[in-house]
Amino acid sequence: MIKKTFIIICLAFISLLNSCGSGKTTGNKLLYWCSNNTDEINFAKVRTEEWNSGNPAHPVKYQPVPEGRSSEEIILAAVVGNTTPDIYSNMWQGDVEAYAQAGVLVALDTLPGFHDFIYNRCDSAVVEEITSHDGHIYQVPWKINPIMLIYNVNIINDLGLNGPPHTYDQFFDASKKFQKDLNGDGYVDQWFGYSEVLVTWWQRFFDFYPLYLAASGGAPLVKDDKAVFNNVYAVEVFRFLQTLYRRKYFAKEQLSARQDPFLAGVIASRFTGPWEIAHAEKFKPKGFQYEYSTMPVPDGHRGPVYTYGDPKNIVIFKSCKDPVSAWNYVKTLIDKEGDLRLLEITNQLPRRKELESDPFFSSYFSKNPKMKIFAEQSKYVRGTDASPVLKEVFDLISQEYEACVVYGQKSPEQAVKDASDAVDLLFIK
Amino acid sequence: MINRKKIMPYLLVSPYIVHFLLFVSFPVIFSIILTFHKWNIISPMEYTGTANYIKLFSDKTFFKSIGNTLIFLVIHIPLQIIIALFLAEILNQNIKMRRFFRGAFFLPVIVSGVVVSMLWQQLYGFDTGLMNRVLTAVGLDKVGWLIDPKIAMPSIALMATWKNVGLYIILFLVGLQTVPVQYYEAADLEGASHWQKFFRITLPMINPTIFMVLILSTIGGFSLFIEPYIMTGGGPLNSTVSAVLYIYKQGFFYYHMGYAATLGLFFAFIILAVIIIQKKFIEKNN
Repeated sequence: MIKKTFIIICLAFISLLNSCGSGKTTGNKLLYWCSNNTDEINFAKVRTEEWNSGNPAHPVKYQPVPEGRSSEEIILAAVVGNTTPDIYSNMWQGDVEAYAQAGVLVALDTLPGFHDFIYNRCDSAVVEEITSHDGHIYQVPWKINPIMLIYNVNIINDLGLNGPPHTYDQFFDASKKFQKDLNGDGYVDQWFGYSEVLVTWWQRFFDFYPLYLAASGGAPLVKDDKAVFNNVYAVEVFRFLQTLYRRKYFAKEQLSARQDPFLAGVIASRFTGPWEIAHAEKFKPKGFQYEYSTMPVPDGHRGPVYTYGDPKNIVIFKSCKDPVSAWNYVKTLIDKEGDLRLLEITNQLPRRKELESDPFFSSYFSKNPKMKIFAEQSKYVRGTDASPVLKEVFDLISQEYEACVVYGQKSPEQAVKDASDAVDLLFIK
Repeated sequence: MINRKKIMPYLLVSPYIVHFLLFVSFPVIFSIILTFHKWNIISPMEYTGTANYIKLFSDKTFFKSIGNTLIFLVIHIPLQIIIALFLAEILNQNIKMRRFFRGAFFLPVIVSGVVVSMLWQQLYGFDTGLMNRVLTAVGLDKVGWLIDPKIAMPSIALMATWKNVGLYIILFLVGLQTVPVQYYEAADLEGASHWQKFFRITLPMINPTIFMVLILSTIGGFSLFIEPYIMTGGGPLNSTVSAVLYIYKQGFFYYHMGYAATLGLFFAFIILAVIIIQKKFIEKNN
C-alpha cells in the first residue's frame, strides 16, 4: 500500500515537472513568435508559408506570442523560464538594450550579410539609433507607427482657420476658438485636444515625447548614461502643455471611457498614430472628415518636424540553435515584398528608407492616401535611446509631467530639472 | 521493516509540507536573501550589501505611499465598522425583507474587485459620472473625485467601504446573535433606553467581534492594491499610491526585485507593529 502510494506520488510529480517544460518546437523547425493581433498573424502565416515552400530544409513555425497582459511581460517570462522562441518580431526598441546587456540576444552584426542588408534598408541615423552600448546590433528595425496630429477638417474650416495648427501659438489660437461650455453649467464641454492624464510611463509617447522630438529636431533623452533633456526644448514642451491644461484647452478628465470624443466632435484633434485610420473609417459619422498633420512646434521652429515612431523590431534569441537560418528567414520576412505585404495586410509602415518615393510601394500609397502622410513623416521619426532603464526614465519624466503640466505645481524649468536630476541618479553605479 | 503506522501520518501530511516549503518558506527566505542583492530577473544577482536598506530610508515616495495607506485606513476602518454595526443592528431586528437586504449588502463582497473598481471609476467621472450629475442637479459644484489629489484617496476609501461592508455586517450579525436575550430583558425591566442597552450591553458583549473586524479590516486595508491600480494608477500626484502598489511597481514594473523585497519586508514589520499595538489597546480596554 505504501509502495503504491509512493509510486503514484512520484509519477504525479514527474508528470507535473514534465508539463512545465519548454514550449519550443522539436526537430530542426525554427519557432517564430509574431504579434497576436489578427492582421499580423495573417502576415506571419503568408510569409512563413512562402518561406517553408522555398526552404524545406529550414522550416519555420510561426506562432502568435502567448496571451498575457502585455507581450513585454510574456517575453520576459520566456527569457526567465528559458522558453524563448528563436525569432520574435514585435520587440519594442526600448526593451532591447536590457535584453542585450543580459546576454540573451544574438548580435546580428556578427551574422553574414547583416551590414549590407541593414544599410540597404536603413539610413545611418537609424543604424546609429539601434546600435547598443557595446557597439553591436541586436535588432532589425521592422515597423513604425509615427505619432501625428489627427484633426477634424470640418471643425478647422468652421473656425475659419487656414489649416491645422502647426505652431504652439496657432494651437492656442485654435483651442481658444473651439473651447466651449455648451450647457452653461460653468464647465468646458468641448476641448481642442486631449491627451491621457494618467501618469503611466508610455502615455508620454503620445504627448511629451513626440512634441520634444518635434521641438528639438529629434534630440535624445539620455546619452552615455546621462540625462540630456534638461534643455530649452523640453521646457518649451512642458510650458506648452501646461498652458493647454491651465487654460482648459485640454480636459483633465479621462475621456477614453465614453464614446470616442474625436468622432463625436467633443475634441477637435489628438496626437495619435495610423491605427486611428481603420477605427475612424469604421465608426465615423456621415460627413465626418479628418486629416493628419505634423506635431505642433514652437513658434519660429526651423527644419523638419520629427516625431516618435513607436518602433517594433525583430530579434533572434541566443537559445536559437541555427541563428544563420533564422537570420535568412528574417531577411526574407522583411524584404521589399515582405514590407509591401506588411502594408497591405496590417496597414503598418515598414521602417525602410525612401519608403514614400520608392515606386515599388506607390500603388499602395495611391490607394491609401492617408498612409502616404505617415510614409512622408517616416523620414523624420525617432525611436528610443539605447538604455536599459528607459521605462524608468519615462516614468520619472511622467511624474514631473503630472506635477507641472497637469496640476501646475511646478514651473516647467523646475520640473524638467527635477526629472533630469532623478534620471541621472538612475545611472549611478 | 518499515513501520506502516509510523510512516503513514508523515506520508499523509507530506503534500502540505511540500507546499509549505515550496510556496511559503522558500519565498520568505529567498526574499530576505534578495534584500541584499540587486536583481532584474534576466541578469545574474549582484550582491549589494545593505544598499537597498539605505535606499529605502531616503525614498520619499515609499514613505508617502505608507502615509497614503494610513490615510486610507483612518477613513476606511471607522467608516466600515460604524456602517457595518449600524446595518447589522437593523438587520438583526425583525424587519421586512430582512433576508433580501442581508443578501443585497453581501453582494459587492463576491463581485470582483476589478469590476467594482471599474464601475466606481465611471460613477466618479468628473463630467459624465453619476455622482457629479447628482451634485450639479441639486445646484452643487462638481467634485474631482479621482482627479483632485486631496479627494482621490477618501473617494477610494468610500468605494472600498461599499465593497467590503457586507462581510463585516455578517460578522457583526453573528456577534449580535450571541448576546443573551436575558440581558436585554433585564435592562428593559430597569427601564433602560435603546442607546443605554446598545452602549452598556451590546458593545461590551461584541467586543471580540469588533476586535476581529478591526484586525481583518486593518490587514485588508494595508493590502490596498486593486482599487488604486485600476482607478487612478496611483495618481494624481502619487496621492493614491498605496504601499503595496508601490512595492508591486518596484518589483514588476522596474524589476528592482531586491529593492521590492526590502520594501516588502519593511512593510511587513510595520503591519506587525500596528497589529500588536491594536491588540494591546483592545486588551487594555477590556
